[in-house]
Amino acid sequence: MSEISSSGRQRSNRQALWRRIDPAVATAFGCIVLLLLVGSIYSPNFLHLDYLLLQLKVASFLGVIATGAMLVILLGQIDLSSPWTITTGAMMACAAAAYGPVGVALAIPFGILCGVAIGIVNGIGVAYLRIPAMIVTLATNAVAQGLMVVYTGGFSPQDEATEAMRYIATGFLIPGVPNAVLVWAVVGAGAVFLLTRTTFGRAVYGIGNSERAAYLSGIDTRHILVIAFAIAGGLAAFGGVLLAGYSSKAAQSMGDVYLLPAIAAVVLGGTSILGGRGSYLGTVAGAILITLLQSILSVMQIPEAGRQVIYGVVIVIMLLLYGRAPASR
Amino acid sequence: MSRAVPLFRMEGVSKRYGGVRALDGAELTVNAGQIHGILGENGAGKSTLIKIMSGVVEPDAGRMMLDGKEISFASPAAANDAGIVCVFQELSLIPHLSVADNIVISNPPKRFGMIDRRKQRAIAKEALARAGAADIHPQALVKDLPLSRRQMVEIAKALARKPRILILDEATSALTASDVSKVFSVLKRLREEGLALLYISHRMHEIAELADMCTVFRNGSNVASFATGTKSGNEIVEMMIGREYSNVFPAKTPPVLSEKPPVVECRHLAWTDQLRDISFSVRAGEVIGLGGLDGQGQRELLLALFGVLRGVSGQVLIEGQPVGIGSPRQAKRGEIGMALIPEDRKTEGLLLPMSVRDNLSFAALDRVSRGGIIDGTAEKSHIDEMIRLLAIKTAGTDIPAGALSGGNQQKIVIAKWLMNRPRIILLNDPTRGIDVGTKQEIYQLLRKLADEGAAIVFYSTDYDELIGCCDRVLVMYDGGIHRELAGEEITEHALIASALNVEEASVDRTRVAGA
Repeated sequence: MSEISSSGRQRSNRQALWRRIDPAVATAFGCIVLLLLVGSIYSPNFLHLDYLLLQLKVASFLGVIATGAMLVILLGQIDLSSPWTITTGAMMACAAAAYGPVGVALAIPFGILCGVAIGIVNGIGVAYLRIPAMIVTLATNAVAQGLMVVYTGGFSPQDEATEAMRYIATGFLIPGVPNAVLVWAVVGAGAVFLLTRTTFGRAVYGIGNSERAAYLSGIDTRHILVIAFAIAGGLAAFGGVLLAGYSSKAAQSMGDVYLLPAIAAVVLGGTSILGGRGSYLGTVAGAILITLLQSILSVMQIPEAGRQVIYGVVIVIMLLLYGRAPASR
Repeated sequence: MSRAVPLFRMEGVSKRYGGVRALDGAELTVNAGQIHGILGENGAGKSTLIKIMSGVVEPDAGRMMLDGKEISFASPAAANDAGIVCVFQELSLIPHLSVADNIVISNPPKRFGMIDRRKQRAIAKEALARAGAADIHPQALVKDLPLSRRQMVEIAKALARKPRILILDEATSALTASDVSKVFSVLKRLREEGLALLYISHRMHEIAELADMCTVFRNGSNVASFATGTKSGNEIVEMMIGREYSNVFPAKTPPVLSEKPPVVECRHLAWTDQLRDISFSVRAGEVIGLGGLDGQGQRELLLALFGVLRGVSGQVLIEGQPVGIGSPRQAKRGEIGMALIPEDRKTEGLLLPMSVRDNLSFAALDRVSRGGIIDGTAEKSHIDEMIRLLAIKTAGTDIPAGALSGGNQQKIVIAKWLMNRPRIILLNDPTRGIDVGTKQEIYQLLRKLADEGAAIVFYSTDYDELIGCCDRVLVMYDGGIHRELAGEEITEHALIASALNVEEASVDRTRVAGA
């Protein structure tokens, strides 16, 4: 059966289609619909287009940050430095704005670059120094926090976000569609291309499944790890830039509330926390799901502490559901 | 047997691992106060036998009797309780715990629910003394002891469990000569104390010195049991071989003499204490086998060539030019063109959850992409070619590689490297655990690749394969090349004799005589 007959090919195409619809992604989208229905019981506004677009806009910030988190999780690693990478990105972009017209023009790239730098440190620590990602990224998070506290003196920074930052976060290039959503769409398209069409993407999945096999296949695994952490850092910082644009300025600890949701969005979307398996569509679903969950919890007037408890519980439940899947599926 | 009821007896014990019959109707009788030597080639079923006796695996069929009463073990702990204790080949000590902690690890003495450290020390001291290693301090950390001392601790640990049957699996392979003689006197004393000892070793002279009885295993069953000294070394080697050849191997092509430098040559390769002064060369069109017992440095040699090991000294020349290969990435590059089919296809060769397509193109992504972007059409045509060439049976290229049979998985591992068009192909036991049909296809493929000009280095634990496939065989012993066999010299007898480090001519003289 070395040659596949045409009927066999049709069958395998159909199977491929079924396989492509990951049950986890389907579950996540199902949960989104369910949440909207539950929400509409509390308030009919839940099914209004305006509300949905607003949620999509809020989800965009999380989505951009989760894209980076996903890349690292696909490798079987974790990035816990995102809270202060986000904050660093936001603060540094705003800080650059204070340095005249050149600073204003370079504010966004400068913010992102700071995140990339943090990511590179993470990557070198994990890939070359062989320190567990959990430790390295926690450490860089602490260092970034320290540096930002030194820079701001511990107070809310006075620098304002630039016009461009505000525009990409809150403006409307296409009437009706928030720019933040467009930005997420562009980042997402890039991620999909990177993961499915490039040698880098293949290597990421390969390393996530078996770093040893990838190394023995002649993949430069350390190189890939550093690049992935750098991209994750850059995207977290970009998320920070967007958030700063959204609220016109950076704030202390503004990234703290994104660590758990970013990882949760990735995992809820069906990406294996052990790496090697997952699709970007799942992360999109995960980010929207988390945002809706947050929104509904606040509409139901559950306090912040209760929300944190519910996130945690939801992640554990989802991990239980997905973690039991056979390894070779 | 003179005794009416032997201490331990197993009858008709069989064990299958998937399609492989590891043990088939094995019988063994062990008497108290005897040292019983077990002999057999790699894969003859010795390890499985021990695992069944010590409760690590359960047999599929057959029965075991202790003192004439039928028994079965649910776990190693149950076997320990019955008095069967094994000293494993791989050291089972925990490096960061003390010697005493390790010795009593499975059943520490307790007082008020907490470990009684004083009693623990006393037990450890006594066990160490019994093992003839009273000089080891019970409070020393295992990681601070040299390898040979650790092996003594391992024996003490077994003795602390008060065994009636003590199994030693290659227990002396890590020991220095002085330690070996110490262990031997300990074992002889234990025999006087009425223990039954099962001694598994590849070193024939050790068996000759120690054992009262010998049993030879071949292909999963016992072929003969005899009192030591009644058979010559030569006869024993013959018993260990005993198989008929089946004509599954393609005809060898006579090597073409050429003036060209060998495709790959290494000079004085060495790595830690596992590779010693290795020099050899492979010409285009040659299939070189690596023989010898398991674990004599063959795997390390392949990994060293492929740039995986750090700190390898010596020189590697590709077509006469010295090269430095620091990683598999460098090894696979065009100017070197090396490929390694790794040992464990499930963890080293394949990405099981990923698709057949992703796996096939994984080592050759540079060939099917431009600027880092994969060209789907080129990828597909390369993959289709490989699926045809190796006749890989798969329901499509989108299904996970893990869903295929073992033989087809191995074909994918080979195919993914052939996509890179390598000139030098290193294979690490590529036919382990796959069916006979696929094995034959792999033999034919290897010969075809060699005829097309590839240089092939092929490690196998199966002597038949070495004889059937290889133009030359390098027999390794203790990290060095012990002997090189070429052409007609490659016989099973020569392979085993040199693997056991017995000079072929002197096999007759090394009569297995009682000590």
